Amino acid sequence: MIKQMRRYESWFGAGAGICIIIGLYMGLVTSPPDYYQGEVVRIMYVHVPFANVSLLGYTVLFAGSLWYLWKGNPIVDNMSHAAAGVSAFFTAGALATGSIWAKPTWNVWWTWDARLVSFTILLLILIGYLMLRTFIEDKDKEARFAAILAIMGFVDLPIVYFSVEWWRTLHQPLSVSPRGLSISGEMLIPLIMMAVGFYLLFLYMAMVRTQMLYLEQLREAKKGRLLSQAYL
Amino acid sequence: MKFFRVIRWIAWKDLASEIRSRENISSMFFFAFIVIMIFSFSFSMDLQAAKDLMPGIIWVAFGFTGIIGLGKSFWVELQNDCLENLQISPAPKGAIYLGKLISNLIFILIVELVLFPMFVIFFNLDVLDKVHLVLLIFLLGTLGFAAVGTLFSAMTVQVRAREVMLPILLLPMVVPVMIGAVEATRGALNGDPWVLYRHWLELLIVFDIVFTVVSFWAFEWILES
Amino acid sequence: MKWFYIRWGGILFVALMITLLGTQRYYREVATMSPEQLLREQPTGTVRVLGRVQAGSLSTPGQEETSLHRVTFYLSGEREGLPVRYIGGIADNLRELKTMVVIGRWDLSTREFEAHEISLLPNYGYVAAAYLIGIVPIGLFLFLMERRVELLYNEIKAAKVYESEVAGFDKG
Repeated sequence: MIKQMRRYESWFGAGAGICIIIGLYMGLVTSPPDYYQGEVVRIMYVHVPFANVSLLGYTVLFAGSLWYLWKGNPIVDNMSHAAAGVSAFFTAGALATGSIWAKPTWNVWWTWDARLVSFTILLLILIGYLMLRTFIEDKDKEARFAAILAIMGFVDLPIVYFSVEWWRTLHQPLSVSPRGLSISGEMLIPLIMMAVGFYLLFLYMAMVRTQMLYLEQLREAKKGRLLSQAYL
Repeated sequence: MKFFRVIRWIAWKDLASEIRSRENISSMFFFAFIVIMIFSFSFSMDLQAAKDLMPGIIWVAFGFTGIIGLGKSFWVELQNDCLENLQISPAPKGAIYLGKLISNLIFILIVELVLFPMFVIFFNLDVLDKVHLVLLIFLLGTLGFAAVGTLFSAMTVQVRAREVMLPILLLPMVVPVMIGAVEATRGALNGDPWVLYRHWLELLIVFDIVFTVVSFWAFEWILES
Repeated sequence: MKWFYIRWGGILFVALMITLLGTQRYYREVATMSPEQLLREQPTGTVRVLGRVQAGSLSTPGQEETSLHRVTFYLSGEREGLPVRYIGGIADNLRELKTMVVIGRWDLSTREFEAHEISLLPNYGYVAAAYLIGIVPIGLFLFLMERRVELLYNEIKAAKVYESEVAGFDKG
């Protein structure tokens, strides 16, 4: 599987690069500003793809964890680890760009909206996952425990979303809600370009990171074995 | 029937050792008591604000107490190689999980049942006619917390930096329990009609069922040798 | 390794190009001047002025049936301001005490600003911040990761670990 990644990764990388470059050009240079939000709507071209990618990454992490528990393939475990790391970056980016978008639009840096809170919880679960993987020495145990954590987190996230949504409608019925942006055709195309570009970028980054983790493990293993050969 | 016997054995083992030494429950109890004291100092002047925030304070205190109890629950297994023996024993691992869950649940509930009258006394709450509702909410909330916590405790006890990993992993996951328990407790203490906060109890029940089942399945992987 | 650096040099170059194009667009279509600057420089072409609609200066549009609205108001900067006559499409964004951008020509003879378009405060600083905070860390992360992968591949290939196993047992 690593060989396949090595061969096809450049397609994903190039595709990602082209889509993002076109998307950035259209988003920053040619697309019109929004009637109600003005220039600030351009942040949508980074924020929405980031949010989508972080959810995609979380799903990849969940699927990879299930696959690892079922088949025990260590490269699948590397892929899950890679997906978690890259998703964490995109989730943090989604939260940061969302906050920067909210300030000029609604004059608040943060609101206790269900989506924002769910994304924060998602980020916390991912960071917990990465910390857990750092703190376990035994590779097999690390993979198993991390897979269980990822599965439980994935099951938990919809419940978190709904509980915060109920709580919010109970306490803040009419506050700001970051939804309902009417998108004209001219704005849709750069948005789709950026979204596709970042999906491809996520897959590319996950592939590269999987190889990195695999190679590091390989190097550690080979070092150990080379050392044992010296004593033969 | 061996399954249920294993559950009984594990739960009885923890309860018996606790009755003899009382170290777990006493540390949980004193920690929670100190938490209540500190909260009451924060709100001492403004009793109205204290009443509004009371359900949150109660469940924060219970949450921290629960983490201490859960942390100790598997830590005792590390001594005398009990954890390895559990791993290689032919007993069904799910039964071990349920036994541990029951003992954790009982410990945390005992501490809650001792603490709650103190809350009532210190903050002059009016609860005599709603006690059964409050107890139901405590049970459901604690069950959800302990269901996930028992699994994570078994996981983190085998890990470096275990004291800090348990809260880091556990607290984001039990956010629905906290929200549901706080809102339901608020509804019950305010004397609201049942229908207003019934959906929070339903949320707690769903969370409990889902995560007890998932943890039961997952425990197999945690105690694999 | 060389191809890696060439590739990333190319990506950096393209990113700089896009930044340049974006900045050019900013100066061409977004950047504004203040009313003080306008009164000082007295430009002749179409310009964009950023100011605040003074309270009490907004005239109500007439009840005409045409699609064009006529509104007059006073646009104030920090120290000075200018009277504006707006003739254009529907202006429901226009409100008193609101900071706005008016686009039009400065009429020297009447000392009035004839605006044909209004738009919102650009807030471009936020856009730039969001794009930088979003893209730069990820680019940096990807660069470091790819570099590490290349180095690891080279190191493992150089150590010839794929072949040494069987041969090493003979040599002992």
